[in-house]
Amino acid sequence: MDKACTIWFTGLPSSGKSTIANRVAEILKNKGYKVEQLDGDVTRKYLSKGLGFTKEDRDENIRRVGFVAKLLTRNGVFVTAAFVSPYREIRDEIRKEIGNFVEVYVKCPVEVCIERDVKGMYKKALKGEIKNFTGIDDPYEEPLNPEVIVETDKETVEESVGKVMRKLAELGYIDEWSEPEGYSEEEEEIVKKRLENLGYY
Amino acid sequence: MKKLFVIGLDCAEPSLVYERWNDDLPNLRRLMEEGGYGRMRSTIPPITVPAWATMVSGKDPGELGFYGFRNRKDYTYDKLFVVNSLNFKAKAIWDYLEERNMKSIALGVPPSYPPKRINGIMISGFLTPSAKSEYAYPAYIKRELEEKFGEYIFDVRNFRIDDKENLLKQLYEMSEQRFEIVKWLMKEKNWDFFMFVDMGIDRLHHGFWKFFDPQHPKYIPGNPLENSGLEYYKFIDRKIGELLANLSDNTSIIVVSDHGAKRMEGGICINEWLIREGYLKLKCKPQGIVRLEECEIDWKNTMAWASGGYYARVFLNVKGREPEGVISPGDYEKIRDELKEKIESITDDKGNKIETRVYKPEEVYREINNIPPDLIVLFGDLYWRSVGSIGFNSIWTHENDTGPDDANHAQHGIFIYRGELDLKGDLGEIKIEDIKDIMLKHF
Repeated sequence: MDKACTIWFTGLPSSGKSTIANRVAEILKNKGYKVEQLDGDVTRKYLSKGLGFTKEDRDENIRRVGFVAKLLTRNGVFVTAAFVSPYREIRDEIRKEIGNFVEVYVKCPVEVCIERDVKGMYKKALKGEIKNFTGIDDPYEEPLNPEVIVETDKETVEESVGKVMRKLAELGYIDEWSEPEGYSEEEEEIVKKRLENLGYY
Repeated sequence: MKKLFVIGLDCAEPSLVYERWNDDLPNLRRLMEEGGYGRMRSTIPPITVPAWATMVSGKDPGELGFYGFRNRKDYTYDKLFVVNSLNFKAKAIWDYLEERNMKSIALGVPPSYPPKRINGIMISGFLTPSAKSEYAYPAYIKRELEEKFGEYIFDVRNFRIDDKENLLKQLYEMSEQRFEIVKWLMKEKNWDFFMFVDMGIDRLHHGFWKFFDPQHPKYIPGNPLENSGLEYYKFIDRKIGELLANLSDNTSIIVVSDHGAKRMEGGICINEWLIREGYLKLKCKPQGIVRLEECEIDWKNTMAWASGGYYARVFLNVKGREPEGVISPGDYEKIRDELKEKIESITDDKGNKIETRVYKPEEVYREINNIPPDLIVLFGDLYWRSVGSIGFNSIWTHENDTGPDDANHAQHGIFIYRGELDLKGDLGEIKIEDIKDIMLKHF
């Protein structure tokens, strides 16, 4: 059985968790690994229906997701889990439970997240239409020792994904991660000749 | 859902589109009348790769860390790299949109080889080594395109030829294929943002300008190619009309170029000039016209050397920086100022003043990354190009060292907008750095 892990993306709403998780999952699948993607939209529908957004309910939601992730991971399936998961204690609890756990802190200033507002939730929270919204009227506890920190207001998705993939290789969960390459020497010569021919230099 | 469609016409020139040929370009004219248009101020230098990258990222060449197609790898004399997509590390419009779960299609927007993984489709541009290269993301798009359109034409195959009819034929073939591919992608694939760049107009200007500009020194009235420029612009306008017919009403449209074009009066042989002024010393006398790289340079007695192209890059040989540097760091600014002043006072071959502008990178960029040239020179308000080769026995030439070329780049390109933003009528000057935010405002 291959050694898999759960890659846990935590961060504010609209910080870019799903974007990076989707790319990482796609790359892993293309490399031939088994992958399952878990995120709030799916689990709140099937796994945690009825749970709300109080601290207790949020913790219970994450605990259930953690349980599913553990089952998959120990059976050789990579799990990408993209959840706000604002509380440190429950994240640490599922880390212990799962074992092969790579925590990715998707860091982004709340002002930038508000600007993105992928699902229009910040707008509602700022108007007071929804309560207990992380970043507005509910706290977010930053991870103290995440395996990876990505800063999505500064990095391109490609760079953030590269950080996660490098860490997976470093920890031995995947065989290797080769950075994308630019021109080979031969290709660069072809392009140089073309540019010269075009008069650029 | 709102959409934005961006038509990139490399090198499209405002004086032709807005004035001289405006009546003959009904589709562009309609967009101008129904929306707004302005003179798009390009990067310094107004060169394809940094310009498009600045447009889609909002970062200037200094922030991006590349200043032209070729850039110094280090402070040695000969190590240069050609910019590829991996050197483009800033966030582009499609990265911002991906954060908002929106899909983009980017086709031919330099620098885009190798194609980046984006939320959507990326097809690399004219810096793709060949049609055999992996030029599309996702990779299967390449197969789909080849099945439908045959081998992808990234650029004209043989630009520096005197057989102009042949060159013109290649131009039409390339743009025809590009627009047909765009038409297919825009109908068949999902997108919120679509941007493509066609290189045809740029190649037309460099290859044909003298045939249609009565002010060009080599213009011959009544020449058989006199209408080549107008006809090609009309063809592009028709193709744009076909695309517009396929766009929904909720789609905003931008038509933009990365820089403009103007007639080329001639070339200033910058290295010849540096030799004459005592800044550059060779170990031997060149036999005929040769590239500087082919000559042995006496570095211990050389203070500066330069590169040619549509603009000049001047490099100083600084002690402790270059391997055989001679200018002590304390004299660096003094020598740079001296060179700037002297270069700005170079006249044309008849002794007339020309508006040469010499820029220090730190004065034009918000930040400096990687290694910029020490001076960036735009000769004669860009009516003159920079010739890097030596052996002309003059500092002026009317023959280009790299083959026939009729036009140089101009600082301003076009920007036409029709859509939901309040951009109407004559918009005056639009800065290239601001276009990314204009695009982003739609989402």
